[in-house]
Amino acid sequence: MKRLVLGGNDAVAYAIKQSYVDVVSAYPITPQTSIIEKIASFIGKGEMDAQFIKVESEHSAMAAAMGASAAGGRVFTATSSQGLLLMHEVLHWAAGASLPIVMANANRAIAPPWSIWAEQTDSLSQRDTGWIQLYASNSQEAYDLVFLAFRLAERVKNPAMVCMDGFLVTHTKEPVAVFGEEINSFISKKETNALLDVENPIAVGALAFPNVYMPLKLEQNNRILSAKNVFYELSNEFEQISQRKYNQVYTYGEDKADVALVAMGSNAETAHLAVELLAKDGIKAKLVKVVMFRPFPKEELSKALEGVEKVVVFDRNISMGKGGIVKDEIAGALGLGNVIGVVCGLGGVDVSETDMAKVSRGVLDGKVKDDMILWGEV
Amino acid sequence: MSIPKQEIMQSNHLACPGCGAALAMRLALKALGKNTMVVIPACCWTIINGTHGNNFAGVPVFHTAFATTAAVAAGIKATLEKQGKDDITVMGWAGDGGTFDIGLQALSGAAERNDDIIYVCYDNEAYMNTGIQRSSATPIGAETTTTPSPTVKDRPKKDLMEIVAAHDVPYIASATISYPNDLIKKFEKAKSKRGFKLIHIFSPCPPGHKFPENKTIEISKLAVETGVFLLYEIEDGKYKINKKPKFRELDDYLNAQGRFRNTPEEQREALKEFIRKRWEKLLIKAENFG
Repeated sequence: MKRLVLGGNDAVAYAIKQSYVDVVSAYPITPQTSIIEKIASFIGKGEMDAQFIKVESEHSAMAAAMGASAAGGRVFTATSSQGLLLMHEVLHWAAGASLPIVMANANRAIAPPWSIWAEQTDSLSQRDTGWIQLYASNSQEAYDLVFLAFRLAERVKNPAMVCMDGFLVTHTKEPVAVFGEEINSFISKKETNALLDVENPIAVGALAFPNVYMPLKLEQNNRILSAKNVFYELSNEFEQISQRKYNQVYTYGEDKADVALVAMGSNAETAHLAVELLAKDGIKAKLVKVVMFRPFPKEELSKALEGVEKVVVFDRNISMGKGGIVKDEIAGALGLGNVIGVVCGLGGVDVSETDMAKVSRGVLDGKVKDDMILWGEV
Repeated sequence: MSIPKQEIMQSNHLACPGCGAALAMRLALKALGKNTMVVIPACCWTIINGTHGNNFAGVPVFHTAFATTAAVAAGIKATLEKQGKDDITVMGWAGDGGTFDIGLQALSGAAERNDDIIYVCYDNEAYMNTGIQRSSATPIGAETTTTPSPTVKDRPKKDLMEIVAAHDVPYIASATISYPNDLIKKFEKAKSKRGFKLIHIFSPCPPGHKFPENKTIEISKLAVETGVFLLYEIEDGKYKINKKPKFRELDDYLNAQGRFRNTPEEQREALKEFIRKRWEKLLIKAENFG
């Protein structure tokens, strides 16, 4: 183990270099591009032994990833925003075909107007594609979650996406503990998943009449749901090597809090400070960070939010005509009536700890009674 | 040469009677053998290959999204190369819609990268699986459900072979089922060459072209004899004409198919002119780049 100063993109590229990846298939897009540039350089220098297919679009990036995975390869790709949206059809296909592809997504706002800055509407728009979604809030998590994503995807035969906020995580340089050979025992464990085999010629994805289709889709749903339990197992195994523990939901602050600040990605880093500001004012607060968004960590969230008077969800995303996506997911899945949603930071707008603390105090005081949009003076 | 006896494709598949595309796959797999993986997008072969649990092709098949054939095939090949499995042929097998139209970008990408795959377009000159809508492979004058008479197609068929030739790939060939020896020879050659290969197969469709189901071979032959479909190869940039057309009366071909029943005289003339010009151009290429 050594410490390097890395942005999230660098961290992902280093993890890929150590992950025995067979095939990389990718197309450039800001702010993801430096991931694939670094991988290309690793391959060029002979530090990594993988095939790199330089495709002509993100649609083809995911398509080639599917082929490579169906033939039994360990496959990685990376994208962002418009690129992820272009992949949409093929994301469904990869999940339906049970292909354990791992992808990094740099969360970036969606045009128009053009924006290259952080927002999570891109990956949350892929909520229903059947992909496992993990959200990193700093470079270390981006690095670690790549290893966990490969093992998880291969165990449950389902693709997985590691998301990180554009620039705020992808480009912010931080010290990262980088593994030496100690990670090999964890990451070299490959499950065989060659769907295509000339000795056993099956047709993958053939037409299914209604009575065949539905059970196959239920099987798919069970596969991704099983990722929750498998994540515990793998996270324990990972902790033995790294001394870092990952849960589907991470908490920080008062165990028995009056107010919980829920966030995903870079907002969660800021929310640590907001919790501390609230504590200074004598308010019992906690941060509840969503690390795994799909499958939805209902049980862990339920535990984390139990007994909390008010829940404030900070969403760096928006479902037009509705509001914050994570807020609705939590309120809906847990049946809670004490959740206030705060849409904030769209297109890379800064979200400060003071604003987070002010809004949370307002919710606790009963001044903020309804979902709101954090914009201008708070 | 003779046609290999081995039968890899199975009978009882779900093609319509007289389907040219079913025969095309049967012949292709005779040439390529068992060590073949096939990628099939949305097209007639999605159905022909059978419902879940079936696989009439007899080799591994990956059914995929419409626009993705060439990219998926490239991905399969990348893994096989990494695994050192050099003896497996990867074939994309798409209709004209999936090739000339929605899949053209991925096809161009794979051709430009010179990915080591065989891309086959079995061309029945319209979206037959969705019930006969025009594609950019539909010839001038043909009636389809989206070009009903009197609004028959008024633009020429896109030239797939020349589009792919512009990518400077090792092997491009046209073939059709009424010349099975020629077709098999071309698949064998494609298999033996590294890099990107395209085989464009003219594949008559009884319900789509509207002719009796026992006339498939005859229509395929007429297409070649009238000069509608030219049999040639472009090997490492060198053009070779495999069969000089007899230039039989075009009407023999048109009148045998219901899709040209309502083709106005003007469109018939346009089609004749198109055939003449295309042949002239091919002759020049064969003479200068042969």
